[in-house]
Amino acid sequence: MSQAVIEIKNLSFAYEDQLVLEDVNITVEERDFFAIIGPNGGGKSTLLKLTLGLLPIQQGEIRVLGKPPQKSRDKIGYVPQNTNINTDFPIKVIEVVLIGHVGDRRPLFGYGKDEIACAMGALAQVGMEKFANEKIGSLSGGQRQRVMIARALCAHPRILILDEPTASIDPQGQKEIYELLEQLNQTMTILVVSHDLSIILKYANKVAHVNHSVVVHDISDKSKIFHTHSDTEHLCEIELLQMLGSESCNTCTPSTESTQEGEKHKGEKSQWQESKWRETK
Amino acid sequence: MIEALQFSFMQHAIIAGILVSLAAGIIGSLIVVNRMVFLAGGIAHTSYGGIGLAVFLGLPIFLGASLFAVGAALLIAMLTHRNRHRIDTFIGLIWAVGMAIGVIFVDLTPGYNVDLMSYLFGSILAVTTQDLYFMGGLLAIILFVVVFWYRQILAVSYDSEYAQLRGINTRFFYTLILILSALTVVIAIKVVGLILVIAMLTIPIYIAEKLSNSLFAMMFLSGAIATLFTLTGLWFSYTFDLTSGASIILVSAAGLGLFLLANKLKS
Repeated sequence: MSQAVIEIKNLSFAYEDQLVLEDVNITVEERDFFAIIGPNGGGKSTLLKLTLGLLPIQQGEIRVLGKPPQKSRDKIGYVPQNTNINTDFPIKVIEVVLIGHVGDRRPLFGYGKDEIACAMGALAQVGMEKFANEKIGSLSGGQRQRVMIARALCAHPRILILDEPTASIDPQGQKEIYELLEQLNQTMTILVVSHDLSIILKYANKVAHVNHSVVVHDISDKSKIFHTHSDTEHLCEIELLQMLGSESCNTCTPSTESTQEGEKHKGEKSQWQESKWRETK
Repeated sequence: MIEALQFSFMQHAIIAGILVSLAAGIIGSLIVVNRMVFLAGGIAHTSYGGIGLAVFLGLPIFLGASLFAVGAALLIAMLTHRNRHRIDTFIGLIWAVGMAIGVIFVDLTPGYNVDLMSYLFGSILAVTTQDLYFMGGLLAIILFVVVFWYRQILAVSYDSEYAQLRGINTRFFYTLILILSALTVVIAIKVVGLILVIAMLTIPIYIAEKLSNSLFAMMFLSGAIATLFTLTGLWFSYTFDLTSGASIILVSAAGLGLFLLANKLKS
């Protein structure tokens, strides 16, 4: 029994005159591992900000756990995109995690014992409890990302939203982050923006391609798309293109909903064009 | 120097130096971690308009400068909220217009009744008892705000987007930090003058930031380092008969130089 945790209906959004999102419809169900891909400037971050209630909704509707986004914030854990900024800031790891509690606390100096216990628990969950008293700037990018996940877990969220969690992290660190997310996915819904197709194909069950309009792909049946057989095997956009090439000659089954299928391929194509463009650059 | 302590102006200068240094340490830390140094500079220079206005209307200088500085802080807070990308242009504009207003009002004032140089470069030896009350009162307010809202201020300074998501009114705290900066700038004008105030709000803080692993430690250490620099500068100023504000800043700069050198030798 899966229940819709995020419902986006007929959503459009524009910055001044520039239309960023047009007629977006997305349903994220309970315990989905939902990935969002798309070119830069295609509206991914805007979509996240709208879902978090950081931007006002202009047209359409977003319901998070059945309520408007602002009212469900305490059920959402958010890991922002750029965790490498502000690394000079004099703050300890444990204090960063404790920021996760800040909204529901009375003001005053000092932290409660229960809060510290909770923050330490969240750090243990991401395997960072040993670093609690280190300065945040002394950690590596991957470690810092784990701390940000711990901060998001502090509020005991039902949905965890991450904006490019593995940008500027080494491959081993990326894999560890996604394994952690897979584990967290046992108990909560994960919504992640990422550029890394091969990782998404491995961990996500649904993918939305966002480029002004949105196309959602269900990829929960891994046997249909994922052709590598072990963790060490390499998979990048080249293999994907090759697979698509071979599939279109012999394994392609005629679709029952031909118009939707056509749209789907349009979306995929622009994604590859973008990644190819990035490679040549 | 010891015999100088008998004079009440010297006692006032030392007390003022300590009060202003502590306030500058705390607020300077917030300014630096929030990357508001240019904003604070704008507010400092804009307050010259308030000084000119106060001279023209015959009001207390502190009052005129405070009102003008707080006004500038509110204006900057509003503009930053609306249009973050062009904010540096607006600050530059406010900075220049504020100073121009000050100059014009002083021109319009009949006679030449104040030594305006003392506001540009400070006049710590002319601190009155009333000034001390003002400084002490402001330090008390700053301490209260920082202790009461430490976690909110920390959250907003470290990651304002996340703080907003956790239900903190980031705009309120942003404005609050700017207003406290404006008032700190005004009392620091008395000690080092408005041209040099930015150095006082950044040099000790830069050193403290490298040595601290929490915002609280940074504020405390900044205050201590600023006090050390201010009192040393005051001693130089008295002994060699130099302008106090400039002496304090040069002592601070020398301190920073030594710190950087020691850091380099250590690594």
